[in-house]
Amino acid sequence: MNRNIEFRDVAKSFGSVKALVDFAIRVDEGELVTLLGPSGCGKSTALRVAAGFEVCDSGDVLIGGTSVVALPASKRGIGMVFQNYSLFPHLTVHENLEFGMKVRKMSRSQRTARVGELLDLVRLAGLAERYPHQISGGQQQRVALARALAIEPQVLLLDEPLSALDATVRVEVREEIRRIQRTSGIATVFVTHDQEEALAISDRICVMCDGQVEQIATPHVVYRSPATPFVARFVGKVNDLAVEITASSRVRLRGHAFEFSVPQSQVQSGEARLLIRPEDIRVTSSAGGEGLQGRVDGLQFGGATTSLDVAIAGTNHVVRVSDSTRAMQFGIGDVVSLVFDMERALLTRE
Amino acid sequence: MAGSSKRRARHLVFLPYVAFLAIFLGWPGLYVFRSAFAKGTAERSPMIEAVTGQFRGSFVFSLQLSFISASIGAVIGALVAVAVVRLDTVRGLRSTVVGYSAVAANMGGIPLAFAFLAAFGMQGLATRLLREINVDIIGWGFRISDFWGIVLVYLYFQIPLMTLVLVPALDGLRRTWAEAAQSLGASSAQYWRLVALPILTPALLGGFLLLVANAFAAYATAFALSSGGSRLVPVQIRFFLQGDTITGKTNLGYALAAWMVIITALLVTGFQLLMRRAERWRR
Amino acid sequence: MKISRIGAWLTLAIVATFYIVPMLAMTRFAFQRVPVIKLSWGNVFQKWTIQPIIDSFGSPDFQRAASLSIMLAIATALATIAVLLPTMTFAHLGSPRTRRLIEISAVLPFVVPAIALVVGFAGAFRDTLPILIRSSFGLVPLYVITALPFTHRTLENGLAALDIRTLVNASRSLGASWWRTIAFVIAPNMRASIATASFLAFTVVLGEFTIASLLLKNTLPLYLSYAQGSNPQGTFGLGIVLVVISTVFVAMSNRFGKKVRT
Repeated sequence: MNRNIEFRDVAKSFGSVKALVDFAIRVDEGELVTLLGPSGCGKSTALRVAAGFEVCDSGDVLIGGTSVVALPASKRGIGMVFQNYSLFPHLTVHENLEFGMKVRKMSRSQRTARVGELLDLVRLAGLAERYPHQISGGQQQRVALARALAIEPQVLLLDEPLSALDATVRVEVREEIRRIQRTSGIATVFVTHDQEEALAISDRICVMCDGQVEQIATPHVVYRSPATPFVARFVGKVNDLAVEITASSRVRLRGHAFEFSVPQSQVQSGEARLLIRPEDIRVTSSAGGEGLQGRVDGLQFGGATTSLDVAIAGTNHVVRVSDSTRAMQFGIGDVVSLVFDMERALLTRE
Repeated sequence: MAGSSKRRARHLVFLPYVAFLAIFLGWPGLYVFRSAFAKGTAERSPMIEAVTGQFRGSFVFSLQLSFISASIGAVIGALVAVAVVRLDTVRGLRSTVVGYSAVAANMGGIPLAFAFLAAFGMQGLATRLLREINVDIIGWGFRISDFWGIVLVYLYFQIPLMTLVLVPALDGLRRTWAEAAQSLGASSAQYWRLVALPILTPALLGGFLLLVANAFAAYATAFALSSGGSRLVPVQIRFFLQGDTITGKTNLGYALAAWMVIITALLVTGFQLLMRRAERWRR
Repeated sequence: MKISRIGAWLTLAIVATFYIVPMLAMTRFAFQRVPVIKLSWGNVFQKWTIQPIIDSFGSPDFQRAASLSIMLAIATALATIAVLLPTMTFAHLGSPRTRRLIEISAVLPFVVPAIALVVGFAGAFRDTLPILIRSSFGLVPLYVITALPFTHRTLENGLAALDIRTLVNASRSLGASWWRTIAFVIAPNMRASIATASFLAFTVVLGEFTIASLLLKNTLPLYLSYAQGSNPQGTFGLGIVLVVISTVFVAMSNRFGKKVRT
């Protein structure tokens, strides 16, 4: 039996708002796939349709190869973790964990044994008799995860489980989640709007916008080869410059004489935007000569890496460039030269 | 930087308020209790006499009335609260119901008694209307001034009071708990039995206690309805202390009042503790 | 989860009927000159008049009782603000423990039923300060205490929405005395809560019967109770008027209350 989940052309509207349009993806056993996008993109809706809390207008959801759209949420074999208020406040951690097992009428000894296993899995042994309001937010979410896994579901669904936590706790808990997911090997769908989170823990990322899938690929591919301008802008940082296309492979920065040559004609002539990541621009101190001239206007020291804001002479374009600190020995006011790696740039109309 | 003298001066600021409470709440209270324990020429302490002697029936009657009106009021009030929260999407409904509940819960005794006399008295409008459909409540022995009549009138402010207590508690019932229970395999009935009801119990119980205290302390309505009402403890206190006072026995009236304070204090404290528990879980 | 909307509407409809019927009955009795026995579907809309209530308004007993109640209500509202506002302001400047103590003290009146309070009051001051019992305005402190749980909570909501410490520091650093600070800096920012608390005090006083009755003061509720015999229709009409006024007051309190929260 394959423990996986598959969405087939799922569509869902709320009134006139199209929350999901032709949503399709398969998450296999052992995989952690993240649904990533801004609020309103449909990621939570997709999760809730999978869980059974929303009914889709058309399409199908299969868990373990069987269609579940006709089944109520209680019979789908899913485990779910919510953003907050997951745990039952009137029950201890132990009682929360055994809730699913109690419903399935497992014996007390079986339940207790399993609770012990689960607490060890999430490394919270010793908190069994505490109440949810007596433990921290991060601990609550780990217990919620353990509780979802208690009944050995086929699929794990996580709806922004880290969004309500403090920044430092967030990193800890997300690594815990990844570790536990790898250990148990369960197919997992993770929903978040935080692209850094998605890049850090996913096997694959499904980037969504306005109910549509923009790209499904590994984090590396999503970052380095964004399929659409939306993905390029949403994931990681990107420079967004106004340009003009003068000839089939020449692009000119608006308000400036400098021209780039583009590998192939991605867009027809006219106005366009050039998207390029800070790390794909090389900075040298040679004034004059090749490259775009500019002056360092701002500097952000980030420990291992440093970013510069470079103002292009004669325009109001400001380009952000980043590299290892060792390579960025510049100060504010320095005149520098920028070389764009156009293989890594994206030209787009919008 | 407050030195100890500054701190003392700061606390002095509360003196007027504390003095006010001490003089107009504390002293009368103390007087009631002191008189209640003073034996005078009687053989037993008035406190014991009050609950064992001729007034025992009054306490029983008062407590019965309070518990029954609280029970019925709690159930109906809870149903109203559930209905209001269920129909949350209807614009203006919740604020209307909650707003009117605030009015009805504080409804003064006299106009309320009038209203029910006009409706369910011997010459009442509702009495007459019911007779049109062959329901003769007077023939059944129903009198607005008797036990069940007073219960009916008390429901008028008991129901909204429970609604006011329960609506916030129901709001606090997070949707994620219901969904989590579902995802763990619980049916609707199991969710209510294992999750919702236990979480709501402090509010339900607390509300019930508040209703009992509310009914127990009520005076004006019972007084205005007379005859049946006169067997209630609050009204008896009045008759006792304003009618002919048998020397040596006035303290019995104070004892009745002291018992009222004790009972009400226990009920209100219970209510507060339960509401604090309910609050804690809502975080 | 599975509560039907129909069931919800039905429940509300049934309970609403229970609430409307007595008020309707009272209104009908007050303003329709048809005895219940003679009432039939034919004459339901006949003989409606507001004469009985006009007679009531004309009665000197009523006017005395009404003016007394109104003066007591105003005095209670003013006394409540005068006592609570400074106290609660200082509580907000102090430790949370002080604030909690004040909160608990405001709930104490619930614990002492009106009947016990008035009986203790009469006994305690009968020999020492009889003026408190003889004068009608002796009722005011008792009324302030009766209304305390409600007025305290209202003012608490208003204060919690402000940054008291900053306001007070700013005002004091500019040289204002404590009184000026409270009267001209704190109070204007709490207009809504103060108004709401005053409305609540009014509602309490206009409906309070127990204390006035035992101290033999001729307030409006007492007048209603006595005049029932001589002018039943007018008295019932006054009852309805009182109910309407209370409803309006509480509705306005709710409206103000909402404003405070934004």
